[in-house]
Amino acid sequence: MGYVAVTAGEEIIERAEQLFEKQRLDEDEELAVGQIDGQLGRLTGQAMSEGGLYAPRLAALAVKQAQGDTVEAAFLLRAYRSTLERFDESTTVEPSEMIASRRVSPAFKDVPGGQILGATKDYTQRLLDFDLFDGDTTDPTADWDIDDEGEPEELTNVTELLREEGLLHAPEEATVDEPTDTTRESVTHPPARDAVLQELARGETGAVTALGYSALRGYGQVHPTLAEVRVGRLPVRIDHPYTGEAVTVTHTEVTESEAVVPVYEKRADPQFAFGYGLTFGRNERKAIGMTVLDASIQLDSEAEPAENPEFVLDTIDGMDSFGFIEHLKLPHYVTFQSILDRIRSIRERQRAGDESKVRADEQPAEPPTQGASDDD
Amino acid sequence: MTDHTTTDDAPSDDRSFDDSAPDGGMPVSTASVDAALESLDDDGLTGYNYAYLDEHTKREVRRSMLKAVAIPGHQVPYASRPMPLARGWGTGGIQASLSLLGPEDRFKVIDQGADESVNAANIRRLAETTAEVETTTDTTDADLIQSRHRIPEEVLTAGQRLVLQVPITDALRKVDPSDAANRRRHAHKNYGKMWVHLYENVVEYGEINIASRYPTMVAGRYLMDPSPIPRWDVPKLDDADHLTVLAAGREARIYAVPPHTAVEPLAFEDRDFTVERFPEQACHACGSTDTYLVEVSEESADEDGFETRYACNDSSFCRKRRENPELPKDHHLDREGVDWGPETPDGDASTAQRGGSE
Amino acid sequence: MTLLEAENLQTRYGPGCSQCIASTGDGAGTNQCPHCDTVVACAEADLGVEAGEVLGIVGESGSGKSSLAELLALERDEDATTAGEVRYAGHDGNLLDVDYETRHALRTGEIALVHQHIRDGLNLEFTGGGNVAEKLLSAGNRSYEDVRDRVRTLFEATEIPLARMDDPASTYSGGMQRRVQIARALATDPDLIVLDEPTTGLDVSVQARVLDMFRRVQREEGVAAIVVSHDLSVVRLLADRTLVMRHGRIVESGLTDRVMEDPHHEYTQTLINSVI
Repeated sequence: MGYVAVTAGEEIIERAEQLFEKQRLDEDEELAVGQIDGQLGRLTGQAMSEGGLYAPRLAALAVKQAQGDTVEAAFLLRAYRSTLERFDESTTVEPSEMIASRRVSPAFKDVPGGQILGATKDYTQRLLDFDLFDGDTTDPTADWDIDDEGEPEELTNVTELLREEGLLHAPEEATVDEPTDTTRESVTHPPARDAVLQELARGETGAVTALGYSALRGYGQVHPTLAEVRVGRLPVRIDHPYTGEAVTVTHTEVTESEAVVPVYEKRADPQFAFGYGLTFGRNERKAIGMTVLDASIQLDSEAEPAENPEFVLDTIDGMDSFGFIEHLKLPHYVTFQSILDRIRSIRERQRAGDESKVRADEQPAEPPTQGASDDD
Repeated sequence: MTDHTTTDDAPSDDRSFDDSAPDGGMPVSTASVDAALESLDDDGLTGYNYAYLDEHTKREVRRSMLKAVAIPGHQVPYASRPMPLARGWGTGGIQASLSLLGPEDRFKVIDQGADESVNAANIRRLAETTAEVETTTDTTDADLIQSRHRIPEEVLTAGQRLVLQVPITDALRKVDPSDAANRRRHAHKNYGKMWVHLYENVVEYGEINIASRYPTMVAGRYLMDPSPIPRWDVPKLDDADHLTVLAAGREARIYAVPPHTAVEPLAFEDRDFTVERFPEQACHACGSTDTYLVEVSEESADEDGFETRYACNDSSFCRKRRENPELPKDHHLDREGVDWGPETPDGDASTAQRGGSE
Repeated sequence: MTLLEAENLQTRYGPGCSQCIASTGDGAGTNQCPHCDTVVACAEADLGVEAGEVLGIVGESGSGKSSLAELLALERDEDATTAGEVRYAGHDGNLLDVDYETRHALRTGEIALVHQHIRDGLNLEFTGGGNVAEKLLSAGNRSYEDVRDRVRTLFEATEIPLARMDDPASTYSGGMQRRVQIARALATDPDLIVLDEPTTGLDVSVQARVLDMFRRVQREEGVAAIVVSHDLSVVRLLADRTLVMRHGRIVESGLTDRVMEDPHHEYTQTLINSVI
């Protein structure tokens, strides 16, 4: 059987898996799922956001199993979620209900509810902290004198202030009662905005950042002013099956971002456009990137990648890009043989100086390798 | 969260056949949450549905297939589920297969012609663990064949179903990346741009240079991407006895070539569609000269450099040929001389290319 | 023989109201309805084209001539509301009501449009020859050599250097691109060609050569044409009969020589005087 270049059965697959599992083990204590959840929240947040499943404990498990590969972890979550029964659908919550642990508004110095810096390293110098080699379990906030501040204040969204003044274009009213569910109904183009937002919310963090950045970099017209970026907890409510009343069943940590975009030249009544971003977990970069992309896509233009909904949605999903990029590792013997046949045939024809060629005296200097179709 | 859900037993395993039933809003036993969570600690796939996907999903996939069969060559969108395989690794194919498989079926999986390939083995393993089907490597023995980029050398018959894995669903993607624009072209049967592509191919190279994924008209109506099967295999789809389902997971489209449907590769009257040529070559293992071959480089006998040898790509048929070099491709049928593409009786004249003549 | 006959053609942009027609046009001095802001791009247009004849439509920009030409060339603008009737030799019923397939077949075989803007009419990524070939291939021609021969003949007829046939159309000069569009329009031996502003973007010497070429080919092929232009000299050179449009209405029509020598409508007189 030596004539098939790669032959492998289940045994080889199993051994490969065993080798991979071995990489997780080392001299030190095994990393506990709880530690990943507690100490590597950015990883689990990213996995939950891209996986479209809010489940911190499962996300920590997925991150552990994937050895820190967040896209792989998101993939594990999605594959698992797709097998689960849907018990219920939660009711819509207003973002103003958010219990914010962080809130910055770059648009105004003073905003109702105030700026809340919260936990951030935005303004910390990026120096390696060698103390962490040995670990440091002292709580730097231990001696803080904290008042019991009572009920958290409801924060008025900055965009609401602008809308009251008529400065900000309002989102179009939903034309359907139930939003599309892109996990149950594949996206067709042109996509409705609900489908766009869902796909962006589950988009791969790096892709959302890069495409959002492309618009700022000049490949697009959107250069937004952020109305606010907030991190906090939103309630998940369902209607009680017996009483019919909404009951809060849990909370999710989300990052939300809203922006105003000065694109108003064509309007009879000049108004700002807007962009919106929301993602599970703490991921400000992705939420802002999503905001830029939402605003860009609303321009619906083919002129720039970030403004073309088809381009953005076709490239933003981590599961899609991860799988297809990595599938190139699979055998391509058949298709490659087919390509070899074409290039050889064309080269033979050129050497023979075929009469049917119109430009017989203008042979290309290079063999037409890049012309041979090799896309599969 | 369990405090607020009810303990009523919902018909979760025996869902009604009312397809319009919403997915949510139905009170469901908390026991199934626990079962699902408990399954995390198990080794196997306890807690998962028969054939992995839930029945509702499988029914939905089958409905898309029926629509695809009703409109041959037309791409039907379906809600491609995340699978425990990576996108691009056969997730569309496995969803189609798992939706079709029943416990009585024998399942064959091939990847680039080989049952032994790692990815084929992985897909086979998933079907074995979740659907408890029997698997086989013998083409003639299989009820359902999932394949990546090949149609077997042995003639497929009326009872058999072939599922081809599809990376890129639209033949027009070669000439325009926009799905929206291409959907309009399909609706209008407007394939001028593809024809210009072929015309300019001949202008530039003297012949059409498309290797695999050869654009093909189905039932005279829709232009289809037959998946990256080699050109060698395309004529086998024409007026076939078997059903071919083409399924893409990443792009979430299903399309089909029903039995006895006209399938015609695009070409000019005076610049024929041609299949891959293997001039003067035979499989070094079984001696076949009428099969699709692939090159393998091996260290030469005198250990001085490498030599190129050719081998059958369909490893299962090659094994049979090594036992019986005269075995025809229609050996398992009660009729002879069946047209099954290149090098078979009544195969298209233009496809008989052995020897390299044109 | 009458090839095409149109009656009461209308194109408007906007909601429309019962007073639109009465409140627009030459008498009203505007094409925008004061009651509902609808733009009545053209209305109340009747015309006919004989086989082999060239009909000119002249007017300033915004006069409605391009809207009228688009209707006659079966070009559909999804933002516009259209009405009226076009009867065409050998076809039953109103051409404006035909389904997509019939319209596509007519536009591939019998009625060709040469767009004002090159990008609407040509695919600049294709070779020049490919652009012409597309028409033949869309019409069902499946012989490569026949297509090549026909493309060569058309390149010769429209005076494009054969050596450039297989170069991308994006590398062609403006004049050559216009010629390729005309070659493409002629490819399937249509009965009628609609030319929308054929001189746009060309400098004067190139304009003259393209128009001369078109006049020769049009006579050789015996194809009827509708030539739309803001430029009286273009219409004077090509058209047997001429319509003058203003504010969405035809204000004068007649043999080209008569319209030019003895204009009846005040607006036509101004147009002619301003040129001379």
